[in-house]
Amino acid sequence: MKEFAVFWGCTIQARFPFLEKSVRTVMEGMGLPYRDLSGFTCCPEKSLVNNVDHGLWLLTGARNVALAEAEGLNIVSPCTGCVSNLSTVKSELNADPRKKGEVNALLNGVGRRFEGRAGLSHLVPFFHDEVGAQRIRSAMKKDFKGMRVAVHYGCHMMRPSHALKNDDPLEPKKFDNLVRTLGAESVDHSTKLMCCGQGLDRVDQHDTALHMARLKLRELKNRAVDAMVLCCPSCFLQFDNNQHLMEKEGERFGVPVFYFTDLMGLAMGYTADELGLGLHRVDAGPFLKKWEEVSSRPSSRTAFEEEMRAVTFAMDRL
Amino acid sequence: MLDGVLNFDLLDKCSKCGACFDVCPSCLNIEGYDPRAVIKDILAGQSGRWASSIHVWQCLECHQCLEMCYQHYGFENAMTAMRLYATAKGMHPPQVKRGWDMFVKTGRLGEPAAAGRKKLGLPEPGESGKEEFLKLLKLYREAKKGSQAQ
Repeated sequence: MKEFAVFWGCTIQARFPFLEKSVRTVMEGMGLPYRDLSGFTCCPEKSLVNNVDHGLWLLTGARNVALAEAEGLNIVSPCTGCVSNLSTVKSELNADPRKKGEVNALLNGVGRRFEGRAGLSHLVPFFHDEVGAQRIRSAMKKDFKGMRVAVHYGCHMMRPSHALKNDDPLEPKKFDNLVRTLGAESVDHSTKLMCCGQGLDRVDQHDTALHMARLKLRELKNRAVDAMVLCCPSCFLQFDNNQHLMEKEGERFGVPVFYFTDLMGLAMGYTADELGLGLHRVDAGPFLKKWEEVSSRPSSRTAFEEEMRAVTFAMDRL
Repeated sequence: MLDGVLNFDLLDKCSKCGACFDVCPSCLNIEGYDPRAVIKDILAGQSGRWASSIHVWQCLECHQCLEMCYQHYGFENAMTAMRLYATAKGMHPPQVKRGWDMFVKTGRLGEPAAAGRKKLGLPEPGESGKEEFLKLLKLYREAKKGSQAQ
């Protein structure tokens, strides 16, 4: 596998270092050749930057891509927003040579050049396409058979599709495939592809943000899932922090929220502590407890096979 | 006033379609949110009335409408144009103002959490690109001024 640069983005490093820990633990455990690059800035974020100055949004994104291109590296990001923004900038500039020329004229002033060639992937499609099920399975010590997990893709993992081109934008499959590779059931639900709504918290509309979070959490509670899994710090903020805030006010959901690498890491044999799960606001305990119970129980297949062996043995003696 | 930012031909077709209404999470779940009304006013030259509306900030930029749209245009282009317009008028939410200020000062929307990172045994974060970013920002602003003066 070719070496790649990780684009952490602002939110993970500033607010959720334990998510960084989880991602690093899994990537190191699997021996993936990643590199930390110096000099990245904010991707930049769409709602706070693109809504004010589209030109600066393009220029900043192009500079970030140029940093990886100068090292001959592709970018992989555990943040859907970052990868969607960088990809949209790349797609817009590659489709418009005049604009690309203007951007490069400015970048030239700081000794950079945007080629628009670096591959940009989100961690989930990267695990699906580049790491692959076989390598994932061989790294696993334990699976999640018997556990019911709700996958939350997060809009910007695959949209806008003209820029990301990595999965079906309205019926994605890759995250589900990975969760099934880990042995869990991916529980279908009607709000699966619904936007988390965290963007509303960034524009001073906290109550509406909570309203959006509640719609999904209520459904997941009714579907009796053991946890939800996502891979975006913004969605994580919405479902972990905001769920906790609502629970403090007396609404009970009890849906633990995991990053993709949390589940992956647990399956690889890392402990909850090593993955920073104790720093999540919503208690992951009930999930871990059930997992322990389920995995210590002999599976129905094993029980059946044992019974068959006993019967065959008895028949042999006749 | 939104010429050049929006394609009015596409927007005109958009105003007669509305297929994306039923996939838009805000249309379905936030009372009073309806980009069809905004688009109607933009086409009638009345977009100014939406500049101070909280609804233009309730577009979640989830791109569901874009994917559903047979023109690959969707509500989002109209809503993004309205947010740029509101911002130009200084009517954007305080949090957007604060986010923008931090971005143009530091190139980031938050600094790595030093104490938390240390506790978790994480390596030193990559060096910030702040200085180069600020230099680039200066060049960008000069170029923008130059093109506006022409």
